[in-house]
Amino acid sequence: MPEIRVTPLGAGQDVGRSCILVSIGGKNVMLDCGMHMGFNDDVDDELEIKAYYAGHVLGAAMFQIKVGSESVVYTGDYNMTPDRHLGAAWIDKCRPNLLITESTYATTIRDSKRCRERDFLKKVHEAVERGGKVLIPVFALGRAQELCILLETFWERMNLKAPIYFSTGLTEKANHYYKLFITWTNQKIRKTFVQRNMFEFKHIKAFDRAFADNPGPMVVFATPGMLHAGQSLQIFRKWAGNEKNMVIMPGYCVQGTVGHKILSGQRKLEMEGRQVLEVKMQVEYMSFSAHADAKGIMQLVGQAEPESVLLVHGEAKKMEFLKQKIEQEFRVSCYMPANGETVTLPTSPSIPVGISLGLLKREMAQGLLPDAKKPRLLHGTLIMKDSNFRLVSSEQALKELGLAEHQLRFTCRVHLHDPRKEQETAMRVYSHLKSVLKEHCVQHLPDGSVTVESILIQAAAHSEDPGTKVLLVSWTYQDEELGSHLTSLLKKGLPQAAS
Amino acid sequence: MESAEDWLVESLRLYQDFHAFDLSEATRVLEWIDDKGVCVAGYESLKKNEILHLLLPLRLSVKENQGLFPERDFKVRHGGFSDTSVFDLKHVLDTRLLVTSGLPGCHLHVWQVTEDSDVIQAVSTIAVQEEEGSLWPRVAIFSSMAPGVLHGARLRGLKVVDLETQKTTYSSGVGDSEELSSLQVLDADTFAFCCASGRLGLVDIRQKWAPSENAGPGPGATARRWCAEVGGRHRGPGPSIASLGSDGQLCLLDPRDLCHPVSSGRCPVSAPSPAPELLRVTWAPGLDDCLAISGFDGTVQVYDATSWDGTGGQVEPVFTHRGHIFLEDNQTDTAPLVTTHTWHPHKPRTLLSAASDASLHVWDWVDRRAAC
Repeated sequence: MPEIRVTPLGAGQDVGRSCILVSIGGKNVMLDCGMHMGFNDDVDDELEIKAYYAGHVLGAAMFQIKVGSESVVYTGDYNMTPDRHLGAAWIDKCRPNLLITESTYATTIRDSKRCRERDFLKKVHEAVERGGKVLIPVFALGRAQELCILLETFWERMNLKAPIYFSTGLTEKANHYYKLFITWTNQKIRKTFVQRNMFEFKHIKAFDRAFADNPGPMVVFATPGMLHAGQSLQIFRKWAGNEKNMVIMPGYCVQGTVGHKILSGQRKLEMEGRQVLEVKMQVEYMSFSAHADAKGIMQLVGQAEPESVLLVHGEAKKMEFLKQKIEQEFRVSCYMPANGETVTLPTSPSIPVGISLGLLKREMAQGLLPDAKKPRLLHGTLIMKDSNFRLVSSEQALKELGLAEHQLRFTCRVHLHDPRKEQETAMRVYSHLKSVLKEHCVQHLPDGSVTVESILIQAAAHSEDPGTKVLLVSWTYQDEELGSHLTSLLKKGLPQAAS
Repeated sequence: MESAEDWLVESLRLYQDFHAFDLSEATRVLEWIDDKGVCVAGYESLKKNEILHLLLPLRLSVKENQGLFPERDFKVRHGGFSDTSVFDLKHVLDTRLLVTSGLPGCHLHVWQVTEDSDVIQAVSTIAVQEEEGSLWPRVAIFSSMAPGVLHGARLRGLKVVDLETQKTTYSSGVGDSEELSSLQVLDADTFAFCCASGRLGLVDIRQKWAPSENAGPGPGATARRWCAEVGGRHRGPGPSIASLGSDGQLCLLDPRDLCHPVSSGRCPVSAPSPAPELLRVTWAPGLDDCLAISGFDGTVQVYDATSWDGTGGQVEPVFTHRGHIFLEDNQTDTAPLVTTHTWHPHKPRTLLSAASDASLHVWDWVDRRAAC
């Protein structure tokens, strides 16, 4: 019985990441949230892995793993657009056998993107209004780009004069990423990117490290994102001592980095050379990372139309409601295996078989059955070659394979009690079969034998018992079905002749 | 006409904080479960409705270092399914039980929220003796060692039923068929009612039915429907009962004299309300003499009653929340209507409001009046 097996293995190497083992069509695939986009990978001849664009954040992807007609779609950390509608359904009814989705954020209801942006603007505005400097460490180009556009619009509307700077390290990467990923960004970003590049922003300029010492308010986007080295750390050190200043951390920081320390509340940092840096600047942590929430997951399931859904990496007692919700709304089975537990799903894969035109024509020539819905039995030869299935006529198969044809004929003896002559018995058989087998061609040949289609029935006298006649029913293997039917019919005996 | 963008920029000075959420279905209830979570529930008539217990974003619960809590999202802590629409939901204090009411109005449903599962389970039903076609019973809870459910669609059907034994422990015993609009338990022995006509009463359940009440708003009242709420300091002096009419009239009454409002004003709303059943007036638990009203349109209005002259003339809100109008996502023709609102138990200027487009807002308004 073909089946798909899934075993979540729990947290992988990265914090929050996870591994899932999938066995499909005899192949084993390991899914790790940390996997990079692979576009369209044909890993081996039969296994196809396809990456889907998973949202407006570059780098988040969904994968379809396909072997033959069986497929599994895995969605890790994906974003179902903050604006609540899907732009161009990218997972449009792919109807996988199984949809595996992370349920870590399944129980959240996300604050709207506009409110999160509003919060960001408010913080920046407050700091700038009091004459402070704002440092925004970034690592993701896409996100920095969006925040820039946001600030630019706001600055324009509020007629603000404080300068905004964008670190040169990021601008160099800009064109490079643009070329690679432009098809993956949404219309709005693409349009804006096309309309203007980094240097054409009215209020945003390229940063020079000398600017960090300029008096007065300013906003700077700098790398790297966790403040662990480079330009952002340099700027941080200069600005940390002033309580009017602000640093806005836009994402998770790995343990050990300055970013992580200040987010944990640490206010005295030991720098190299045993120097202690006192952090008086305001520390803000804005979550811009986009995750799918409860509504997003329902949308995804509705779009993909899987046969079954599997939730991974949530706590069982926190997923029961979502499981019921999915089962009720979409009428599919929903599984939630624990780490290490394997779920087995039986599948019924469809195997496409090509039928040769000659065979099809021959069958059609035999006419259609009165009941079009009844399955029609046809004879042919199935040739399996190079993962290709073909149904051809036996003659063609023999020809292709260079084999000689052998004929098989069956003969069955049916004993009948009938003292009359053979010819009369044959007559009786003919009349009987003619009346009973109305949809078949029943003939009485001049030599006394009866034919039903191509099946031959001859009556002969029994060698020892004159009162018994022996009917010899003979057919080729192609007529097996009818032959058997005839035999059982005749074994029931003939109706008494009318006197 | 302000665009959504303009309003959002404007909101930077109007609100200290602002969160906007989209529920999967609109709710008419916002019931606090301690001060960390609220319950919401769907009110559609032809499908299964969800009852959700939502936890507020952590940053709204912490007092310091808010900036270090990036999560701005609600968490669905528990969820359940109701076959009937839910128009009212009450939490039974100090228990894990919820009571819901809706249409059809022949039963109240009791639910349980457990620790070891996130599913809200249906536990039992309470039969409502008097069944009315389109009326649904209002519900209030007497929380004590043996909690009792006060309910009724009309004055004559008012009863208190013991939650555990299902025995009736109190009955109004009157034949009065006036329709009820609001029901509120004040302490272990008293409750307040407001009829749709505006008639108000305070009832002591230790006695046979003898409420201190008024006959309803006097001649000249144009409102078709009223609702009311008793404020936190109903034992002290001064007005602590607010009643709101569908024509926008807001009256403040002293419980000792229900016949003569202490103060009244006319709110600048589009009257009459298109959905008088959604009218809601609430007292701010953390601000003296502050009230909020909703149910007329897509706004929630906050009033400071101390600034009124009290003679019934037009009064101005100190704040109007317009978020539901400006952040409306769908392109439907009908403007969203605020279905309910509630104040945060201890953050003085924080409110939650829900609208017919399934939006749920949490907002902390800035008091722009000159500080004394």
